[in-house]
Amino acid sequence: MRTQTSKFLLTISSVLALIVIFAFAVPQQKVGSAWETPAKYKAMKNPIAGDKASINVGKSLYMKHCASCHGKKGLGDGTKSKSLKTFPGDFSTPEFKKTADGVLFYRLSIGRDEMPAYDKKIGDEEDRWALVNYMKSL
Amino acid sequence: MKKLATLIFFLWFSFGLTAQDTIPAPEAAEPEVQKPIDKPVREPFSSGYIIDAQTTLVQPKNTLEFYIQHKFGTIENGISDLYGIYAPAGNIRMGLNYVILDNVQVGWGIAKLNMYNDFSIKWNILQQTRKNTIPVALAVYGNVAIDSKDKIKFGSTYAFTDRLSYFAEVIVGRKFNGWLSLQMAGSFSHYNFVDTGLEHDRIGIHFNGRAKISPQGAIIFNYDIPLNIKAFAENYDFPNSPLPNLSFGAEVATSTHAFQIVMGTASGIIPQEMIMYNHNDYTKGQLALGFLITRLWNF
Repeated sequence: MRTQTSKFLLTISSVLALIVIFAFAVPQQKVGSAWETPAKYKAMKNPIAGDKASINVGKSLYMKHCASCHGKKGLGDGTKSKSLKTFPGDFSTPEFKKTADGVLFYRLSIGRDEMPAYDKKIGDEEDRWALVNYMKSL
Repeated sequence: MKKLATLIFFLWFSFGLTAQDTIPAPEAAEPEVQKPIDKPVREPFSSGYIIDAQTTLVQPKNTLEFYIQHKFGTIENGISDLYGIYAPAGNIRMGLNYVILDNVQVGWGIAKLNMYNDFSIKWNILQQTRKNTIPVALAVYGNVAIDSKDKIKFGSTYAFTDRLSYFAEVIVGRKFNGWLSLQMAGSFSHYNFVDTGLEHDRIGIHFNGRAKISPQGAIIFNYDIPLNIKAFAENYDFPNSPLPNLSFGAEVATSTHAFQIVMGTASGIIPQEMIMYNHNDYTKGQLALGFLITRLWNF
């Protein structure tokens, strides 16, 4: 009788342990696939490139619109990042710094999948360029 | 004949002068100089609402806004009802706003108190600009509310129009710097049906503002003052005068949401209710906790 009880308890404990392990297991995030940018945007010149005053504007916009996913320092570790299927990217990498301003402008304006479009939320193009400047400064 | 010649002479020269005025010689044309555009200031407020009041802000065209406003009972009973949070009294309003044109928003809301259904319109006539070409923002807001309680409330001579009340407001606001925005407004409220001895109409003045403490966070306040104007009154005195509504709180705004946690006097949520019927006195601690949540969708 005692052996049967022990087996039963062992089975229940194992099932519970598995449930707990799976409950806390974080599904692996995929890395974003290649994101084609139309030539029109690639060729765009940043009209406020190097404008230091725009960095503050960009920071304010970034904290409101972007930080919850991309993280305060752009490391892709925002409070909502864990619930995303795709890793939101690391803005501190050399690859990111080399990305053309027009490409970033396109991505944040048009968006795709989990990344929202900000062309309406941030209606002023100059503000979106300021956001690009801030992201490059991270 | 002499008169005819004189007439032709004048007509000839009059047309001649006109032609000279309207068709300048090509060499006289000056190169067109484009004036720099003075853009509107960035985000004078994070939301169209500041606690119970309206701000001059109208979201971009084709934006849909859903909101919930909630007020708990007053904090007078202390811990016994968790400072009003578990009190039976309280008020809720929820509804939708939609921006149909640039700077024009229409809305509908429904409140628990008196089951008010209100239909509103807000027009942001002027936006303050960055270089002060336009130094202030100007908006007008109006609503009509239908009291949807049982008609027995309105007495034996009931008519549907007894249910209607109106609110019209002119709001002037200014963003003074990166962190401080203030507004003042004047309003007119009208109820078609009121109890004996009460006023049908009342003028109010309103002050509110926001002080940002971080890119997303701000301290907010609102103060509504109902005025007793004798020249304007139906009754000789004002024994049941409504009291001012003071409210203050904190706001957190994200890309698509605004959250405001507040404490305020009036239990009403629609503006004419607060101006006409607030009898809670903040000097006696008759304040209640509340919150506001808005969610935006762009189309």
